[in-house]
Amino acid sequence: MISSSSAGAGAGGNSISGKQPRSGSTHQAQTKWRTGAQERIYNRRLIEALRAVRGARAVKDAADSALALTARGQSRWSRAILVGRLRRRKLLVKAGGKIRRRRRSRLPVKPAEPAALKEGKVGERLRALGRLVPGCRKLSAPSLLEEAADYVAALELQVKAMRALADALSAAAPPPEGSPAAPDG
Amino acid sequence: MEKERFFSSPAMNWQRAEATGAVEMNCGGGEEFPAFLNINWDQSVEQSTTAQLESALSSIVSSPSSSLPTPVAAESVVIRELIGRLGSICNSGEISPPSHLNTSNCNNTPLNSPPKLNLSMAEGRGGVPIPGGLFPPANFAPFATDPGFAERAARYSCFSGRNYGALPGSQFGIPETGKLSRVPSSQSLKVDVSPLEMDARSKLTGRVSGPPTPMETELKSSQEASSASGESNSRKRKAAPKGKGKESPLSSKAAEEEDGSAKRCKLGESNGSTEKDGDVKLKAEQNGGGDATSNGNDGQKQGNDSNAKPPEPPKDYIHVRARRGQATDSHSLAERVRREKISERMKFLQDLVPGCNKVTGKAVMLDEIINYVQSLQRQVEFLSMKLATVNPRLDFSMENFITKDMHQSRVPLPHSVYPIDGVPAAFSYPYQPQQEAHLQSVVTTNALEAHCSMNPLDSGLRRSLSMQLPPSDGFPDAASQLCNFWEDDLQSVVQMGFTQNQEDAFSSQSFHGSLATTPHMKLEL
Repeated sequence: MISSSSAGAGAGGNSISGKQPRSGSTHQAQTKWRTGAQERIYNRRLIEALRAVRGARAVKDAADSALALTARGQSRWSRAILVGRLRRRKLLVKAGGKIRRRRRSRLPVKPAEPAALKEGKVGERLRALGRLVPGCRKLSAPSLLEEAADYVAALELQVKAMRALADALSAAAPPPEGSPAAPDG
Repeated sequence: MEKERFFSSPAMNWQRAEATGAVEMNCGGGEEFPAFLNINWDQSVEQSTTAQLESALSSIVSSPSSSLPTPVAAESVVIRELIGRLGSICNSGEISPPSHLNTSNCNNTPLNSPPKLNLSMAEGRGGVPIPGGLFPPANFAPFATDPGFAERAARYSCFSGRNYGALPGSQFGIPETGKLSRVPSSQSLKVDVSPLEMDARSKLTGRVSGPPTPMETELKSSQEASSASGESNSRKRKAAPKGKGKESPLSSKAAEEEDGSAKRCKLGESNGSTEKDGDVKLKAEQNGGGDATSNGNDGQKQGNDSNAKPPEPPKDYIHVRARRGQATDSHSLAERVRREKISERMKFLQDLVPGCNKVTGKAVMLDEIINYVQSLQRQVEFLSMKLATVNPRLDFSMENFITKDMHQSRVPLPHSVYPIDGVPAAFSYPYQPQQEAHLQSVVTTNALEAHCSMNPLDSGLRRSLSMQLPPSDGFPDAASQLCNFWEDDLQSVVQMGFTQNQEDAFSSQSFHGSLATTPHMKLEL
């Protein structure tokens, strides 16, 4: 999935994408999201995405999409986000060649998804976690945990970037519209 | 693999024999011949009765009946062959395995020794080093034919990591004084049988007398090498028979005793003395091969497992090594691998989620993780709302920076970039910017557009553009096309290098349509 997604993703070699062995995926996820390069990439993408957005929901979607993009489609949740955006946009459905290809390549790599993978409290928690992480509803425990780790790292990055951006914007530019937002910068 | 099977079955057998005084050879585990030897050796030390040794030897001898393993390990193959031959030899009192043994590596040596011993056993069992004294001298005739018995034994030891040579040598030394050069050492082994027995348990950890020590060291090294669990298995097996062989000469009991013990061994197989055997083996294994872990433990495990079922345990793949106290059947192994994977990921998550270090247990940790993810998502939502209010400022503030660049590079852009506002937005969402440069330019254009307060039109244009934006390759493509179109329509806009993308899946018609609007918009402006 990584290789396919990388091929599909194409440009942007800043991230630690590439053929990474599944075995070290967890460590890679950790290193991948911890690097400042990833942060910068995401920051840039976030800014660009936010430029043309209006509305809180759009902002969130834009941020999520930017985050998913930064993931370079290497994780299931990022692909799920992107695909969701595509569908919503409709326009990308037919043109989503690359994304579609990515998805198709991912299909064969279907993870073992026993519906009732684990019973009991652990199983409950796992299912709840699957609902939280986009695109990971039915996933086996190890892959779900992997995706969750990647997602958590990405979320942390997102929160950090958005917070910095919000603070910078609210502090840098005095609100000309007198919006009550960002009192604390 | 095979070796491991050797381990388990012979290990158990030997241990059982230990307890019951009857060495149980994995009759079905012909491959485990070396293991038998190991086990025997180990157990022999513990066993104080030659009968046990005899039984072990007999069991080993009987093991040859087991099917030959795949030629994966020459040793096992050779061993099996030897075992088979031993069986015949024992029956007929002929020994001709040496040729086989000689051909193979040190592994063969054990075979050599056992066959000879088996002869004494007079049983169709694998080559268990049966003390010459136990068997009629005729049996030892073959030994005589094997002048390099001691050497082979030494080689065998290297194979199994044990100095079996010492053991067999001792045995043979007794009946054939002039035969084995190593006899002295082996003889010392005999002498040290009792201490050897005692040392058997500690042999791995401690040092027995000279002869045993090399075996022990070898055993330890072999255990630790863990190059092949089978080796350790074979080692154990060999040790067992060797030990038995040592004891036999001491006792110099009649063959009948050995036979009887052998029979007892067989009976003992089904006995529940496996525990002791397993423990003995485990102790030996662990003492000497703490690192061996899997290999030794596997053997142990298999031994324990096979205790319940005489046939060697089915070990399909050896990628996972069972640990002590854990089941070794393939199912549990796979289960354990799965559990380890999960726990590894959980540990990783634990590091990621703050405050999870003190929490133990999957359920609670998962709870924490879920809470953390939820809180992060809520934070994102909150920040997005905050950013939404601040967004206009974003445009304005960014525009200032960008317009400067824009003016520097392209003057006409401001006029032609109005409609581009939506393009970058639409592009950036789903596409991965293949060309950062293009992105930048698009962004700049976008900023300019906003600056021109074309928002209503922009949004409309954006929507239309986005609707028509196809390519997932990256918005640069669409942007380039748009730019190109504008250029065509208006003036030559700065080529963002998207021309090559025109052939993409973009529907140029849509762009045309959108472009058509732009000129209108411009005109209106």
